[in-house]
Amino acid sequence: MSLWFLLSLAFVQHAYYAVTAVSLAAGAVGYFVVLRRQAFAAHAIGHVGFAGAAGAVLLGLSPVVGLLVFCLAAGVLIGLGGAALDDRDAVVGVTLTAALGLGVLFISLYSGYADATYSILFGQILGVTWADVALVATVSLLVLVVVSLVYRPLLFVSVDPSSAVARGLSERGFSLLFLSLLALTTVVAIQIVGVLLVFSLLVAPAAAAEQLTNRPLRAMALAMGIALVSSWLGLFLGVWIGGPVSFWITALAASTYLVARARVAWRERRLATKVA
Amino acid sequence: MCRVNALELHDATVTRGGRVIWRDANVSVAPGTVTAVLGPNGAGKSTLLLSVLGLVSLSEGSLEVLGESPRRGNPRVGYMPQSRREADQGISGREYVGLGYDGTRFGWRRGGAREKAAAVQEALSLTGARAFADRPLRTLSGGQRQRVALAHATVFRPQLLLLDEPMAALDLAARAEIADLINLIRDTTGTAVIVVVHDLNPLSSLVDQVLWIARHQIRSGTLDEVVNESVLSDLYGHAVEIVVTPRGRRVIVGLEEEFAHPHPHPHVAGHDHPPLDEEAHEHFAEFYGDDS
Repeated sequence: MSLWFLLSLAFVQHAYYAVTAVSLAAGAVGYFVVLRRQAFAAHAIGHVGFAGAAGAVLLGLSPVVGLLVFCLAAGVLIGLGGAALDDRDAVVGVTLTAALGLGVLFISLYSGYADATYSILFGQILGVTWADVALVATVSLLVLVVVSLVYRPLLFVSVDPSSAVARGLSERGFSLLFLSLLALTTVVAIQIVGVLLVFSLLVAPAAAAEQLTNRPLRAMALAMGIALVSSWLGLFLGVWIGGPVSFWITALAASTYLVARARVAWRERRLATKVA
Repeated sequence: MCRVNALELHDATVTRGGRVIWRDANVSVAPGTVTAVLGPNGAGKSTLLLSVLGLVSLSEGSLEVLGESPRRGNPRVGYMPQSRREADQGISGREYVGLGYDGTRFGWRRGGAREKAAAVQEALSLTGARAFADRPLRTLSGGQRQRVALAHATVFRPQLLLLDEPMAALDLAARAEIADLINLIRDTTGTAVIVVVHDLNPLSSLVDQVLWIARHQIRSGTLDEVVNESVLSDLYGHAVEIVVTPRGRRVIVGLEEEFAHPHPHPHVAGHDHPPLDEEAHEHFAEFYGDDS
């Protein structure tokens, strides 16, 4: 089978459309995850989503419904419980473990085939339908539009909450809004790379971008670009060479971060020797 | 130039969590002046700033900020909090100061980029932060960070500037630089400055008024009225000595126990076994309201 034939298959094309939408949203939201030091919350929301998906399967519903309900609820809970950036870890941890416990219960109650659970954990990129693409694209677009509208105040509250509050912005309001955006993005990213690898699109590209530039808009665009290239290339390699697509995407995104760190270290060393 | 007072407090009382922070305060701050706020930890210095910002409301009395009642997000009031999270961020000082200019605005930008860049550049020049404005904030020294933060708090040209311990954790030279900078900002922009400090020494040549907050009261006066040993010992609940340098500057020094014979505190009298009588204890508790 030629490569062109593989790439022309409908399910491969669906996958390309889906990863494009998800990568853009995840790159933009991911920048704020890194800026706000909320990687743990991103991690937790994904795992809470797993419990939701398992519950939905148990009830005979589409896993996406369970993902949406549980992820949004977790986002609101974490946003309300830990609005101030300092007292969040405990709230996130408790939410995470409570949901995982539920997830274990739901799986043990479910006597059917566990395939759905597996695809939630590791992604099912080559199984997306047109309906999935439409859902993923709509949610991603919604996330991107909202982020672009609240970009400046969200950046202000994230960088320096005490000044921002004195200037009239609400820390709790933005915490809630942001975690809802994060929850929506997580739901669509899980469709592609799964719960366990959601970081590969949400955190790794943004963390790399944040190392490379000190200008927020540029960093956000760079994060979106890195997420996009990682997922396009990952999809391509998965189809061409084989192996799970989510592995390739994760490997590419993580290596970008490593390269960015190495570049920064190298530049610092060169500066240090120049000074000495 | 607005000639109305930057701050007017009349018989003002603030209560937080059922506890009186300070009561019956009467304070005015004239435009273009520098006011230092002194007092022990937990006395309500930051609370005073928060009430001016409209984040804490009075339980009694009245407060006017630049002639109007205090409100959150008043664009005529600049504020530099003591602890800020921006210090470990990777964004540049210039971007951070830009957030001071239009960071509260929602929506897509419709022009104005040139005005913003000019205002940011002007603020950075005023505070002497241009040389390192394009470096990530996390690579700056403490003094450089304070310069950037001052630019952030003044970029929108406030008429009243509130600084919460801008000299904390800085070395002597950096403290003197920040004091000069406060003077320069006041002279250049005509803003009134209210600055919370623990150490009056670096500011002693430029303050117009001193507020001291202790025992749930705010008192105001000139430097001469406040900088004497009995007022300051009373203020801190710890004996201090004022030393006059050969050049005529007064330096405030805290005294060790063995030299201290402070008047107002009976419990200090017997070092080894402080008397535990009710009256002394109450006195102590009132002074350190927060900790007891």
